[in-house]
Amino acid sequence: MSLKSLLLGGVLAAATTLTGLAPAAAADPYVIYLSNNFMGNDWRQQMIRSAEIATKKGPLAGRVDLRIEQAEGTVQAQINSLNNIIRQKPHAILVDAASVTALNPTLKRACDAGILVISFDQTVDEPCAYALSVDWDFIPRVLAEWVAEKLGGKGNVIIDRGLAGYEASIATTKATEEVLAKYPDIKIVGYFNGDFAPGPEQSGVAALLAANPQVDAVVNMAYGTGAMQALKDAGRPLVPVTAFSFNGSAVACGGEGASCILGSNPPFLSSEAIKLAVEILDTGKRPENRAVIYKNDFFATELFPSKLFPGTEVQPIELGKNAFPDLSPGLFLPVSPTWVEITPEEAAGKS
Amino acid sequence: MSDSPKPRGRFDRLMSAWVRSLDRTPFLVALIMLAAIVVARSRFQSGVFSLEELNLATASALTLMLAAAGQTIVLIRGGIDLSIGGVISLGTVLAATTFGDDPLQVAGWSLVILAIGFAIGALNGVLITVLRLQPFLVTLAGWSILTGIALTILPTDGGSVPSWWTGFGYSIFLGLSGPVWVLMALILFWYWFRATRLGIVIQATGSSERSAVLSGVSILRANIATYGLSGLFAAAAALYLTTQTGTGSPLIGRDYILPSVAAAVVGGVSLFGGRGHLVGTIIGAFILTIIGDLVFALRVSSYWQPVMAGLILLGAVLASSLAEKSAKGQDR
Repeated sequence: MSLKSLLLGGVLAAATTLTGLAPAAAADPYVIYLSNNFMGNDWRQQMIRSAEIATKKGPLAGRVDLRIEQAEGTVQAQINSLNNIIRQKPHAILVDAASVTALNPTLKRACDAGILVISFDQTVDEPCAYALSVDWDFIPRVLAEWVAEKLGGKGNVIIDRGLAGYEASIATTKATEEVLAKYPDIKIVGYFNGDFAPGPEQSGVAALLAANPQVDAVVNMAYGTGAMQALKDAGRPLVPVTAFSFNGSAVACGGEGASCILGSNPPFLSSEAIKLAVEILDTGKRPENRAVIYKNDFFATELFPSKLFPGTEVQPIELGKNAFPDLSPGLFLPVSPTWVEITPEEAAGKS
Repeated sequence: MSDSPKPRGRFDRLMSAWVRSLDRTPFLVALIMLAAIVVARSRFQSGVFSLEELNLATASALTLMLAAAGQTIVLIRGGIDLSIGGVISLGTVLAATTFGDDPLQVAGWSLVILAIGFAIGALNGVLITVLRLQPFLVTLAGWSILTGIALTILPTDGGSVPSWWTGFGYSIFLGLSGPVWVLMALILFWYWFRATRLGIVIQATGSSERSAVLSGVSILRANIATYGLSGLFAAAAALYLTTQTGTGSPLIGRDYILPSVAAAVVGGVSLFGGRGHLVGTIIGAFILTIIGDLVFALRVSSYWQPVMAGLILLGAVLASSLAEKSAKGQDR
């Protein structure tokens, strides 16, 4: 027991000197907690790395004492973790939420305690918390418009419905259908559930190819690489494919002469959330709307001027510049915001 | 359980005192682990030994405690109840879609939800007894069916409960929060319940179903009561959970199934029936919840939380196994 208490005491001394106490003076860094409910995929890991890097260099270096709390997948764990965070009275809490609604009473308590609350990625609908995300209605519409224009307004399209019963999938499918419906000669000849994974995507597309002799484009909700593989396996031409901006998808599109457009939901939303928090804490000025939209880029094999949304940024895919054959296919693009440089290696956790 | 009328030698008396103390070993181990965690935490965080801390820790742990209370009764009976996952999910969904804002309506629906919980449990009890099915499989099926029903009513998290309802967890009466009062009621209930005829029957049936049948116990009635109470407690857990989340969540119940068993086992409840105490389970639930707070206070990676929970569970199982082995040794 004496050895144990000695050890505990040593760790305690180290911990107190390292972490410091609640900040009071303006010169002290802001204490900002990031509460994340899930680490089980590439996106979340890159999200955490992006948050850490954005507070270590660039304009926010030394401005933020970032503390990351993982809550093990359950709503209850995230509530308990948030309760601990609230008692530390930090300046701000950033939350990638386990549920749109179930954290609301807890986050309301944080707001009532004078803590700035920003939800991002999986946002919450608590009115006192900001919700920072990409525009999930805009992205599928641009992708669908690209398909229609690519086909010259005529052809057979198959559509990924994502994960059955998942709200975002339903909304995305609906937006896609609405845009395609404006082109009378475009026919949706089949749907599949890609389940946000390459395997189900490939088998879903393969089944529809077998049933439809003529498929002119594939609208995917995730990788797109499964769809391309299915086209190759069936001996069909590589028709236009839409997907999301995984490095592996961009490399496949850029390298194989396919025609692609990729929408993006960048993991550095966490860095953007930190920047938003610091701006609000610095100026005291709050955004007018609690929903803060991050205007994302698109990647395509060729330039595409959107008529539905003029001014939409579409970057041409260039291997080595914005797509990286040497890095993990699970890396998400783009890797860096404009106001701080996160290198592709840093984003991939390779440096 | 009653003392043997036969005269005994000094050695026998010593042995039986030793076994009785071993029987309490798992419970004592749990108590020591809880104390160790709290003391360790107090080194890193001030205010750990305060009423506020008790209030907050109980608010965090009460859903698990209520779910585990029902599980404890089932485990003592020698069964297991996985359907509580479905009852909790369905309970939150029903609450969030029916409550409205009128206190009378909220009270009425709360009673309906509790009654539904009891009825589902009672049905489990009937199926297990009449069809002679494994409790594990019957309640696994129940979990699946109830989850499906919950998803039909509310496909994703949603619905709402009144704002005064969500204030319950942090409401203070005489210095103690609502959840602490519920916890005290739970303990009182247990001391009353285990002395009732039903409490004794459940424990006896869990110890030895054969002997219980021979002494005239109706297994059907015992099972209906056991699983009915489990369903009732799961429904109560659901109602309390909505005070924390303010919403209906069609999948949330699965997060409590295995932790409810773990809390009971850590607290010294035997997985083989016949032995256990709700106070042990409550300590187990506190331990599993407070480890998270300790990991937070230590400022180490939160991945240590499941590691520590696993080690604690292992320690508890070892203590239990020691108690059971020596009890068998005594029976020979």
